[in-house]
Amino acid sequence: MLKILDFFDYAKSESLWMAHFCTGCCSLEMAAAMGPRYDWERYGYLPTPTPRQADVLMITGLVSKKILPALLRTYAQMPEPKYIVALGACSFDGGPYNDSLSVIKNPTEILPADVFIAGCPPKPEAIIEGLEEVKRKIKEGIPSAASQGGLWQEMEF
Amino acid sequence: MQSIKDILNSFDCEFVEDYKKVWVKAKLNSKDDLLSVAKKLKENGLRSLSTVSPTDFLEDNIMEINYFFEDLDTKRNLWLKLDLPRESETCNIESLTPIFPSANWHEREAYSMFGVDFLNHPDLRDIIKSEDFTGKSPFRKDFDWEAHEKDNLTNVQTIVDAFKKEQAENEVDLDTDSSETILNWGPTHPASGPIRLRVHCDGEDIIGIDPDIGYVWRALEHLITKKDFIGAIVSVERLCFMDNINSMTAYAMAVEEIADVKITPFASWMRVLLGEVARVSSHFMGLGMFFNNMGLHTLAMWNMDTREFFLDFLESYSGARIATASVEPGGVRYGLDMAMFNELQLAIEKFDSSIGEVEAIFVKNPTMKLRAVDVGVLSAQEIHEFGLSGIVARASGVKTDIRIDEPYAAYAELDLDYIIQKDGSAKDRFEMLFHELKQSVNIIKKAKKKIEENVASGEMNPTKDHMVKVPKKLPKGEAISRVEWARGEVLMHLVTQEKAKTPYRLKIRAPSFNHTMMLDHLLQGQTLSDIPLIFGSLYICQGDLDR
Repeated sequence: MLKILDFFDYAKSESLWMAHFCTGCCSLEMAAAMGPRYDWERYGYLPTPTPRQADVLMITGLVSKKILPALLRTYAQMPEPKYIVALGACSFDGGPYNDSLSVIKNPTEILPADVFIAGCPPKPEAIIEGLEEVKRKIKEGIPSAASQGGLWQEMEF
Repeated sequence: MQSIKDILNSFDCEFVEDYKKVWVKAKLNSKDDLLSVAKKLKENGLRSLSTVSPTDFLEDNIMEINYFFEDLDTKRNLWLKLDLPRESETCNIESLTPIFPSANWHEREAYSMFGVDFLNHPDLRDIIKSEDFTGKSPFRKDFDWEAHEKDNLTNVQTIVDAFKKEQAENEVDLDTDSSETILNWGPTHPASGPIRLRVHCDGEDIIGIDPDIGYVWRALEHLITKKDFIGAIVSVERLCFMDNINSMTAYAMAVEEIADVKITPFASWMRVLLGEVARVSSHFMGLGMFFNNMGLHTLAMWNMDTREFFLDFLESYSGARIATASVEPGGVRYGLDMAMFNELQLAIEKFDSSIGEVEAIFVKNPTMKLRAVDVGVLSAQEIHEFGLSGIVARASGVKTDIRIDEPYAAYAELDLDYIIQKDGSAKDRFEMLFHELKQSVNIIKKAKKKIEENVASGEMNPTKDHMVKVPKKLPKGEAISRVEWARGEVLMHLVTQEKAKTPYRLKIRAPSFNHTMMLDHLLQGQTLSDIPLIFGSLYICQGDLDR
């Protein structure tokens, strides 16, 4: 029985679909990672237009106050199990917009991320590396960070 | 130019003077004259109002408003200033929107950010700023941001409540017996990016569109005033990541004008070279997005392949593929190792070998032509009235290109021609992108050759000539600069105070703002399936839309 469950974790991890949702400029490097040179489809990643079929939500860079409710709604619409990848410096602490008071500086306190990818913007290689890290977490059966906590559970959106 | 000065001299002006080669700068004494001046200017041929930029002088208790008028045909421009009192009850002025439709959103922006009241504006609502700022003026110097942002989650709740209220009102306002409804297109639509269009439609027919923007509002213009003159380039280049180099060039030119610094020929050629590389990488994305929005992803993939080679050059030059921070006041940030040109040569060869296929398969694509030929047509008249620029303007046959009209960097030494199309449809805008792409690569070739020749003959030193020193403290002054950005005209208005270490005010006029304003006009009477196509053809980037 244990072996069959492992197989499902393995199957889940090798076909990650991500919700196509861009909150900021890092989505440009995400597009490059989709492109022919880096071609993340080799690893089983595929962007899908609807969150209903997605496994991974990418926070692509800055999260402004206005887009946060949309981000949370998108996350809520995704089926379990779901994972979050935070791209770029902005999604960690505001990055270059740290002084800008209209940008949320702690988006991952609200919606905790499983993997952070550093850079402004991160290079496509780094993005693929980060997604491989998600695969590893799924294979090991680690529950996603957002299901364990985060301010989003108390918020109305 | 003389006729503009004659008009202004017939009114009560503090000064009327020449500014640079193609500008007249003037200041009106009384705000009551504004409407009659504007009417006469329009009769004289100044048909576009580029932007409205208030500057808040807290100590003098003055709200200064700057109007930038442009004539795209004869290349005459006017910078008109006007003082208003700061107090919110009296800080009002007649709206110019009835005369210049292009002023519409720019006046709404000034109203939202500075609380300037525009009398007789047809639709004076908040724009860009989120709902938690309703009734506040965040860009005024005495606005307390820290107090406002103390409890950010409550602010988010305000935004959520406003959104829910709007959705509930939509349900009530619309007659349940009819088939009219309001659809939200975005912010999660794959073709939209972070923008939401409220599409009022009856079945499949569109009645009207009201864009809701501000999803990536970073308050860049406010953020820049907290940084020093060099640090500000980090914010300026994040105007939009697709073409970040030309926006840095605009900012650097404004600082250099105030500091009275002249850059070296090597730096100006490097600005041309880097700017065109950025333009190429941006146009590749634009071409790909157009076909993506029609449902075919092959072109985007092909373009991404070639684009990587140009990004390789930027990476070897600056260390970053996209956020290069490579242009700064005084020149360009890094010296050049001539071996880096090998990468550029590779990119050019890749481009030359693959562009023929793109033309044969996609630009001459019969299905695309059938689909896009009569959609989203803009006449030359509309280009003037709504102040559109860049490829959108040239696709309708309007000859406007800042690289030729008001040459900066080393563009004056290049023999450039206007590339135009006639009809102004979505298809023409797509073809414009393609032809400009080829033009940009030609410019890259010329600039590369020029630098190589001059380095070989010893006239340029690529490791030492790249920078001249710009003082850390700047004198009191103000300057405007314009560049031809990938998407159109970027105008920056920089104001500094005495012994300034930081910019006092930087207004960025970005082209996508005007182009998004056209969506309602273009999509009325069309069907829902035209939205992605027209949206994609206008080449909009949310980064410079919201700033």
